[in-house]
Amino acid sequence: MQLAVNIAVLASIYALISCGYVLIYRVSRVLSLAHGELMMLGAYGLYATASLFSGQPLVAVAAALALSLLVGVLVYVALMWRMTGESVLAAVLATIALGILLRGAMILMFGTQTRHPLEELGWTNASIEVGDDARISGVGLALVLATTVCYGLLFAFLRMTRWGIRMRAAGQNPLLAAQRGIGLHVIYALAWGLATLTGGLAGMLIASDAGLESTMVVIGLKAFPAALVGGLDSLAGALLGSLVIATAEVLMVYYVDPLLSDVVPFFILLAMLVVRPWGFFGSREELDRV
Amino acid sequence: MIKRKTKWALAMRRLTKLTLTKTKTKLTLAVPIAAALCGAPALAQDAYVVGVSAAMTGPVAGGYAPIVESMKAYIDLVNERGGINGKPVRIIVQDNGAQPSKAATDAKKLIGQDKVIVLINTSLSSTYAPMVAESKRAGVPLFFAGGVCPPATYPPADALQFCSTAYSANLDSEAALSFIKSTAGGPVRIGFAGMAIPLVRTGIEHAEKFAGSLGMKTVGTQYTPPPTPDYTPFATKIKDADPNWVFSWSPWVSQVRTFEALRRLGWDGSYLSWAHLNAEEELARIKDGKFYVIGTNAFLEDNLPVHAEIRAMAHRAGLKYPTSYLTEGYVAGLVLEAALKKTSWPPTPKKVAAAMSNLKVDLKGLRGGPLEWTKTNHFRTAQYYRVWHWDPAKSAIVRVQDWKVIGAKR
Amino acid sequence: MSVPRASGYFRTRYERDFALLDTRTRKASLAAFAVMLVVYPFFAGPLAMDLANQVLLGAIGAIALMLLTGYAGQISLGHAGLLAAGAFATGILYKELGAPFWVTLPASAMVGAALGLIFGLPSLRLRGLYLAVSTLALHFIVIYLGSEYETKRGFSTGILIDPPGIGEWTVYDPRAWYFVLLIAAAATVLFSLNLLRSKTGRAWRAIHGREAVAGALGISVHRAKLTAFVVSSVLTSVAGCLFAYFRGFVSVEAFSLFLTIQYVAMVIIGGMGSILGAILGTVFVTLFPYFIEWLMDAFGLTDALSSVVFAVNYSAFGLAMVLFLVFEPQGLVGIWRRMQAWLLLWPFKQKPLAGAK
Repeated sequence: MQLAVNIAVLASIYALISCGYVLIYRVSRVLSLAHGELMMLGAYGLYATASLFSGQPLVAVAAALALSLLVGVLVYVALMWRMTGESVLAAVLATIALGILLRGAMILMFGTQTRHPLEELGWTNASIEVGDDARISGVGLALVLATTVCYGLLFAFLRMTRWGIRMRAAGQNPLLAAQRGIGLHVIYALAWGLATLTGGLAGMLIASDAGLESTMVVIGLKAFPAALVGGLDSLAGALLGSLVIATAEVLMVYYVDPLLSDVVPFFILLAMLVVRPWGFFGSREELDRV
Repeated sequence: MIKRKTKWALAMRRLTKLTLTKTKTKLTLAVPIAAALCGAPALAQDAYVVGVSAAMTGPVAGGYAPIVESMKAYIDLVNERGGINGKPVRIIVQDNGAQPSKAATDAKKLIGQDKVIVLINTSLSSTYAPMVAESKRAGVPLFFAGGVCPPATYPPADALQFCSTAYSANLDSEAALSFIKSTAGGPVRIGFAGMAIPLVRTGIEHAEKFAGSLGMKTVGTQYTPPPTPDYTPFATKIKDADPNWVFSWSPWVSQVRTFEALRRLGWDGSYLSWAHLNAEEELARIKDGKFYVIGTNAFLEDNLPVHAEIRAMAHRAGLKYPTSYLTEGYVAGLVLEAALKKTSWPPTPKKVAAAMSNLKVDLKGLRGGPLEWTKTNHFRTAQYYRVWHWDPAKSAIVRVQDWKVIGAKR
Repeated sequence: MSVPRASGYFRTRYERDFALLDTRTRKASLAAFAVMLVVYPFFAGPLAMDLANQVLLGAIGAIALMLLTGYAGQISLGHAGLLAAGAFATGILYKELGAPFWVTLPASAMVGAALGLIFGLPSLRLRGLYLAVSTLALHFIVIYLGSEYETKRGFSTGILIDPPGIGEWTVYDPRAWYFVLLIAAAATVLFSLNLLRSKTGRAWRAIHGREAVAGALGISVHRAKLTAFVVSSVLTSVAGCLFAYFRGFVSVEAFSLFLTIQYVAMVIIGGMGSILGAILGTVFVTLFPYFIEWLMDAFGLTDALSSVVFAVNYSAFGLAMVLFLVFEPQGLVGIWRRMQAWLLLWPFKQKPLAGAK
């Protein structure tokens, strides 16, 4: 039972992170390798707003989320907009460069100490009993809920709203979409905004659980196999991929060797790439050349 | 237009074919930069020049940058008081970002260009190998201040390697396990937790063996990979092995997060971990009566005169870190000052190594006793351990074991 | 850039067409450049020497990646893994068997070839980012195996390697290393240039252009891809072996993902599809951090708190990379070509038509 809870929490973490990869990839065919840094920036955003609006935790959280959205849009407007039309590798490298820049900037602004945004908000991370013999932390529960809500809203947004449909159209065929009068730049900016918002949320929650320090950047990369196993352009795939990877990892830790938990996602990924390179639900497409 | 393009293509192809000639730019770029780099060290020799390669950026900077800042601030203070033997100390800090290759370049630059008389490493253990290689080649002593003490500093010590850092794998686990045995009173079922890096793994393997010799039962050992988003899966396994004590000797993140995950799973045993720079703040944050830390640096509770000095120094230098973070760097500064004092002018690496091989530094109460280096022991002859925890009744940090000495003979 | 370069020069014999260097000016400038390279170590300081060695070593790896990515069009993020494989093959053979370098070097090359085949297999099915990620997975596996070896054998702070040598004579001094690496880098350049104008090189460019068309032209796409991976991996592993000897140590931490990023940056900043680009990119990426440091020093900013200085340094590197990608997508080679055109045309000016590249 405890194992099931652990899997659920880890899968939520991966799913919430990888949804950012998927959103950006699906729309603009660019892989954002600055996602870890943007997550961390989101978490620092929460830390900053928490001390700014002390005593009003909900306001602080809302402000931090808005900030994340804004940062994502800004990243597109300031940088990625100029990379449209360049080769995929150049665009990916641009995100890497952005990541390096952000990392330096965050050290400059916030120093290297571990921060605890949750305490800044005045909340504690309780331990909640689930069933007879399992427990989940408050933040873990929040993670599961946040992931459910995020995915629910995103599915609804992409299926039912005008902007969501436009976003899907832009992802399927940018040229046709543009000819039908869809403003691609607005769509791309929106995708970056949403991706950073969900990534930032993931960053905030992880930082609430464990404190905010610079290893978070690497955690962003750990969700990578999950997104790929599911299919880089499918949200449902990201969800399933996260579940598969999380299950494998948790069971590996418990029954085999914890040292292998780091490599196992990549083994699954390799197996997947051999059998079904486009992932569980990804679309079979002719991918870009260099 | 078309014609233009084909011509273009032709020219491009020709260019790519003929690239050999054009590597010239390499030099046009490299020469001014190189020249600029060569021109720097003219004024070096009117001071004791000390070179530091440290993890000032990168994921682990939090554990090392405060040490370097504090050491530098202390040396600034020494310089203001008139320097050492009438000469100032120039401290050159290079950032290696915990990357081995950068550390190698730093060492080459510091030795070859800045002509330093002693190298200092304040970084991850992965940067040791290249710096040891360079220090050996050039015969410049290498002083580990803030990174874990490598085995080469224990007796019989390498002639050129010295270490003042608080922690060292084997002694720490022996002191820790002895404390557990005396505190527990009854049979101990012990679990171990640490980060999956080679250094920690060797340390914990030693602890497992030592626990066996003390008659404790090892029920489980868990290694967590360096970036772990959720520690609960690892903690679950430890909890299910049902230990009444857990010992963790590892970077702070994995120590405390494993503990927190254990507590949230409902485990209520006792947990002992190493007191890193941030231990005091963290004890006050976690507020758990059964969370112990063991360490060799005095906490601020002592309120020694030297603590006031550290505070004043931090204020003057504009350091942003809490005072408790600065002890380790201050100790390193004291040791460096003492070593240079014994090095007569004009200094050479050889003289510094000789001075360091026979050194006794009064640490003003920051540790249980003086730090002593001998010809064969470059770690210290005796290591003093204290243990603290948070006392919920008093709502304060309380010492549970006062200085307990362990001779570092090995 | 339809530049009337070397006007009046016509090739009249086939040998002239084969020559890597045609005109006298080129030969002269190459000779001058070679002299400069040979004389350089006698004037350079220790840091400049180390940087030159790093550039030469890096150039081998960067050229290897350029062959794979810039010419054959296969993205790889496993470059650090391959370097690690070469370095670990060397380190393990040295530690376990005490093997000298004439054993470890070919052994590293063979490990590279085998890994190249394995790294290349996904390329038969995958393209673009998917391929990149599968090579990334292999990177993690190589690193995992390396760290297991280090832990199991108790080399927790890395494997130390003595300088290589023949009999009494060992390569130890930076100046000796400079010449060893210079020869290795020059050999790599020559090998690559010749390979690229052979059948293999033309096949690579063809599959880079479009695989279907290349196949229709009678090129075996699979074989071309695999040779690209194998050649590139062999070169990279040899670079890894040289790295191990040059630095005197091997440890997994030296081959992080950041190293891969640096190599990819070299290739892109230098300019895709050009050996010169790979070299220019290596120079830039290797020297830029030191350049910033020097700049900060020159403006007297290092007196401020040192951790802040380094953070600035770090972000400046990121910023420079961003600016480069945004404003000079053709890379350093683009700048170089424009400069050349300007010099050749001077005093006339000729603006390229809008949109023409």
